[in-house]
Amino acid sequence: MVDQNSNYALQTSEVYVHYGKKMAINNVALNFPKNEVTSLIGPSGCGKSTFLRCLNRMNDVIDICNVKGKFLLNGNVDIYSPDIQVETLREKVGMVFQKPNPFPKTIYDNVAYGPKIHGIASSQNELDEIVKDSLHRAGLYEEVKDRMDDIATGLSGGQQQRLCIARAIAIRPEIILMDEPCSALDPIATAKIEDLINELKENYTIIIVTHSMSQASRVSSKTAFFHLGNLVEYGETGKIFTKPDKEQTNDYITGRFG
Amino acid sequence: METAHTDKNFEQKLNHLTDNLIKMSNIVEKQIEIAVNVIKSKDSSDAQTTQNLDEQVDEVERDVRDLSFEIMTLHRPVASDLRLVFTALKVSKELERMGDHSRNLAKRAISISSSFDVDLTDQMHNLGKGVQKMVNQTLESFFKKDEVQARISWNQDAEIDRQYKSLLSDLIERMHNKETSVVDEGTKPILIAKSLERIGDHATNIAEEVIFNITGHYIDLKKSDFE
Repeated sequence: MVDQNSNYALQTSEVYVHYGKKMAINNVALNFPKNEVTSLIGPSGCGKSTFLRCLNRMNDVIDICNVKGKFLLNGNVDIYSPDIQVETLREKVGMVFQKPNPFPKTIYDNVAYGPKIHGIASSQNELDEIVKDSLHRAGLYEEVKDRMDDIATGLSGGQQQRLCIARAIAIRPEIILMDEPCSALDPIATAKIEDLINELKENYTIIIVTHSMSQASRVSSKTAFFHLGNLVEYGETGKIFTKPDKEQTNDYITGRFG
Repeated sequence: METAHTDKNFEQKLNHLTDNLIKMSNIVEKQIEIAVNVIKSKDSSDAQTTQNLDEQVDEVERDVRDLSFEIMTLHRPVASDLRLVFTALKVSKELERMGDHSRNLAKRAISISSSFDVDLTDQMHNLGKGVQKMVNQTLESFFKKDEVQARISWNQDAEIDRQYKSLLSDLIERMHNKETSVVDEGTKPILIAKSLERIGDHATNIAEEVIFNITGHYIDLKKSDFE
């Protein structure tokens, strides 16, 4: 039963996901507190990315993927309701992927694209401001302000990923989903993204899938451990990494066989 | 049985850390046993043995410290592994202090005259035997990860304190009465009794660490009402 507590940006319950006959998520209930970072951890194939992709209906495009369950945005918007347009949902719930995927366009156009198609800016000046502000928030503006017309694919991997974060922010989402956002980055670029996550949580709710235990412990206040499609344990990150309740969680985070 | 680590190198180091603690515990238990016997035997070569063993204890403590530092730096332990490293550092410190007290009390015991009161000597020896038993059970609870035993051991400290206070008041009373055999020894018997009582305190600290290692919480045992 999803309660109406608006302290949560997103509430989920009784979530089941099947790929054809194969069960990927088995009766998961998980709520995401506003303005906090929640990490989803677990071994490959545990269902954490599948679950993340349910949160902005990325799984809709996979024919054999069948999603069931309750997903409430801000306590009252059923994101799987037939009345909800996927594009509108993704304005609210943005996503950053594992591999930076800038469009083969200029730096400016990459960030301006979303606000343009969603009709967020009413004038060129406003669009310029949104682009500038988003790049600022993503910690990239100072590095690119003199080359906004350069093609974005010429940026370094870390810069490209921050550009993708700027692109996600530009459409003013409430929630940002991140699917292993640092797995293709070096430690310095990773540190910048982690710093950024820490700053972004003041304005956004962030849900991050990561394979790095140390990253989960550094960036998130809540951690959820998935295994074989089940949510094994959810709690304060500090507790999960010092004294998890479940032996399975302990085995996974300490690097033992589960 | 604990599940095997995927990182064998890390697992080896954690096992080595536990082995070092077992080694250190064995040496310290031996030190205490010898020191308690010296209270009656006044054997100076045994007292010297406690001194020699103390050097070994210090060496293992350094090994525990260095290995813990290496594990934390290179392997970033979490959860049960983190608690083990944390506990190892604290338990090794407690053991090292127990070793120091054993060495000191043995040194003082051989300097006490053979004409010293037999009853008081027996009381000191009994206190020592009680402490020895408590230390043994506490360390056993650590290696067996036995929370119930750790709590029982912790509770034994009250009895150690009672015996210590009773011995102390006897000593003071005899001094008041100007019993020469007691007065001549000055503060030595008091300091021996104090060392034994302190060893008991270190054992209770270890019992608290054992409970932390198992549960992840430091419990305010003074307020708990277990028996």
